[in-house]
Amino acid sequence: MKSFEYGDEEIGSREILYAVSSMVIGVGIFGLPRTVGSVTKGSDGWVSILLGGVLALFFAWLVAKLASRFPRQTFLQYTTTLVSKPVAIFLTILLAFHLMQFTAYEMRTVANISKVYLFDRTPVEVIALLFLLVVTYGVACSSVGLFRLNLLFLPIVLLIAILLLIMNIGYFEPGNLKPVFSTKWTGYFQGARETLFAFLGFEILLVYIAMTNQPEKTPKAVMIGMSIPLLLYLFVFIIVVGVFGHTAMIQLTDPTIEIAKEVEVPGEFFERFESLFFTIWIMTIFNTSALAFDASVLAFRSVFPKIKRVWLIFFLAPIIYLFGMMPPNLIRVYEVGNWLGFSGFIFAILMPTILFGIAKLRGIKGNA
Amino acid sequence: MKRGVPLFKMLRRKQLTKKENQLETTKDAHGFPIEIFLDVQKNIENIQKILNTPSDLVTREFTVGNTKQRCAIVCIDGLVDQTTINDKIIRNIQLGMANSGKEIPASGEELLKEFENHVLSAIEVKKLNTLDQVMQSVLSGDTALFVQGTDQVLLIGSKGWASRGVNEPSTEALVRGPRDGFTENLRTNTAHIRRHIRDPNLRFENFSVGRRSKKDLVLTYIDGIVHPDLVGEVKRRIKTIDLDDAPESGFIEQWLEDSFLSPFPTLSPTERPDKVCAALTQGKVGLLLDGTPFALVAPITFGNLLQSPEDYYERWWVGTFLRFLRYFGAFLAVFLPGLYIALVSYHPGMIPSKLAFSIAAAREGVPFPAVIEALVMITVLELLREAGIRLPKPIGQTIGIVGGLVIGEAAVSAGIVSPVMVIVVALTAISSFSVPSYSLAITFRILVYGMMFLAAGFGLFGLILGYIMINIHLVNLKSFGIPYSTPFAPSFYADWKDLILRAPIMMIGKRPIMMQVDDEKRMRKGGKS
Repeated sequence: MKSFEYGDEEIGSREILYAVSSMVIGVGIFGLPRTVGSVTKGSDGWVSILLGGVLALFFAWLVAKLASRFPRQTFLQYTTTLVSKPVAIFLTILLAFHLMQFTAYEMRTVANISKVYLFDRTPVEVIALLFLLVVTYGVACSSVGLFRLNLLFLPIVLLIAILLLIMNIGYFEPGNLKPVFSTKWTGYFQGARETLFAFLGFEILLVYIAMTNQPEKTPKAVMIGMSIPLLLYLFVFIIVVGVFGHTAMIQLTDPTIEIAKEVEVPGEFFERFESLFFTIWIMTIFNTSALAFDASVLAFRSVFPKIKRVWLIFFLAPIIYLFGMMPPNLIRVYEVGNWLGFSGFIFAILMPTILFGIAKLRGIKGNA
Repeated sequence: MKRGVPLFKMLRRKQLTKKENQLETTKDAHGFPIEIFLDVQKNIENIQKILNTPSDLVTREFTVGNTKQRCAIVCIDGLVDQTTINDKIIRNIQLGMANSGKEIPASGEELLKEFENHVLSAIEVKKLNTLDQVMQSVLSGDTALFVQGTDQVLLIGSKGWASRGVNEPSTEALVRGPRDGFTENLRTNTAHIRRHIRDPNLRFENFSVGRRSKKDLVLTYIDGIVHPDLVGEVKRRIKTIDLDDAPESGFIEQWLEDSFLSPFPTLSPTERPDKVCAALTQGKVGLLLDGTPFALVAPITFGNLLQSPEDYYERWWVGTFLRFLRYFGAFLAVFLPGLYIALVSYHPGMIPSKLAFSIAAAREGVPFPAVIEALVMITVLELLREAGIRLPKPIGQTIGIVGGLVIGEAAVSAGIVSPVMVIVVALTAISSFSVPSYSLAITFRILVYGMMFLAAGFGLFGLILGYIMINIHLVNLKSFGIPYSTPFAPSFYADWKDLILRAPIMMIGKRPIMMQVDDEKRMRKGGKS
């Protein structure tokens, strides 16, 4: 039945806004204070985060601009008009693989952290499998369903994050913020590079803007959507530095979860806030993984339109599981994370810039 | 087409087949002729043959006034009101015509016309001329009047059978609000709605459901508010219904719903006329089936099922508070046993230490793990509920004593379950009773089991995945084209005024935007000037 316009497979700019935020906020936030803190001194990391965030904001805007130049065209279609068809197919498949790897990484990280904070006896493989099954269920239902889930989950996730920050104000020691501005300028840029990795994920827009019915409004929505994680990262970093101090912070694997350990819930009706925090955070990690998986399915489907969506999902899910389970230990997982950051850099920043340049130079516009 | 066949031959052939068809249609499925004969006697014999002369078939032949004009009435005893037939039909024909002094027409046709126009004092009179229509009408409680010498039959509305009076709806009791509920009688039910909404645009559309039962199903909506495509879709779905009988609107619900796999209801049954009327003014449609006090409302969303009419009848503070309470109750009804299992068996560290000690002390000596304990207790609770419904009322109290005292108290003192578990199960039960929609409450009772298994296997991680899965299902489920999770997602923030919050009546100036109604405004903000 087609009577209710919002009931079918279309999304508006509000859905894009929530999707960008949900996609960017994922497992990146857990280790962010450590990675940024390790290359800066004192509390100077916030400058790097701001710098990296503004850069990410700019490139996200660029991606949105590029994709909304070609309304209702898939990534494959508009890259075909910009560069030739073989190159477009090559790029689409690479992008799809990148997104699959993204899902796999999120899945593995969830499993690892769950093992640390929620239960120690259940094997990682089982936790990851369960998580991936739920993600597959979500993706198999519909793309638009995932956008609705973003609308439902993001407010809850942001609420628990704000709660975490507020409850830590009591442990905040301003003295920990000193010294100020003592980092070398190269350090700021190194920190900004680390931050940029935590902002990656907006490359899904390359695929999703084809689904929106308000392409002209998307760049603005994307900017707002990107500012939410930017603000969140800034506050989290400052609170973490203020609570732990710089030296302790860079020794912790996941400082953002560790600050939850400090919290004592008023009224003491439960303890171990970090378990609750992480449990709720699984909702946004689910969103990130599901969106990445779905985007990669969409990308594959644009190349092979004859394969049924459900079959493709059932075919890709085991591959993603293998991708995620391949690294044998934590160190290798971090290596994969670094590689993912690198390929994300290519797909979110380098490639859109080049494509945008080509579009501008050749003056190509999609016929809306 | 073959060449050389003369045109008139083709035409003739067509005519012939037409005639054959006509002959065929004058017999019903069992080979009885359905045409109406000019002779009264023959007609009555035919009817008796079709129905196999049942004991409740009443046929009465008589002559008009003091002439030889023969007439007969046919009706089903028990479905008709006998005084109507006596006073308005037979007396008028036999006495009224003789006393009026008018000349009684000799031909059957004219006599019938005279009856229709002057003699019969019943309100509802219609003329039919095929036997199957006549039979249909007689079997639903009308009285047929045959007149010698004509193939027209008069059907006089004389429905009147024993039915229950208007009672307070027992499944949806309110502290404040109208006390009348729907009954088994369709006409009473449509009258309820008419009495609430005196709008000329209120529509009732009749459908006949059931191959054998041929029950009346009425689709009701307010033209000018409702989205026309919604009405079209509901009609399309109603027309696909192919049942032998629809004893209850549950059959209609299951036939019309969007997904038969979903545990969640996508049409909402209700006994309350005020609830149906409120839904109609929001641009929804209602379905009334003859023979059941449960009407259906469609489309519905998850938020609708946690609302009660009382939210609007009480002042907005009360309404808002009650709604918050219900959402909290709904959460507990699904997740509380799971949470208890997860905390006790996987994350005892999350329970405050003092409480953890007392729980551990209470569980001391309980031979089962928390999961088994919870499963046993929840199942016992479900059994108690089921037994409580089946038992006759005087014995029903026993179940309270047996359930509460014997199973609860004795099981604890025997050391089979811990007292904390009894508290958890009792809280879950109370929470599920706070859900205003019975069909949603049952859904929750099923989901509890799933959540318990997930919690038993994976603790909090399993629970959050269960929560995510329920949400995935809800955002993908639709009720007549409307996503079940509207207006949460897709978000219509204007509709949030009447979702978990219940804003003051004066501020809910627009009908729900999600229904995409034709006439958006419900009132002028701030009232009439």
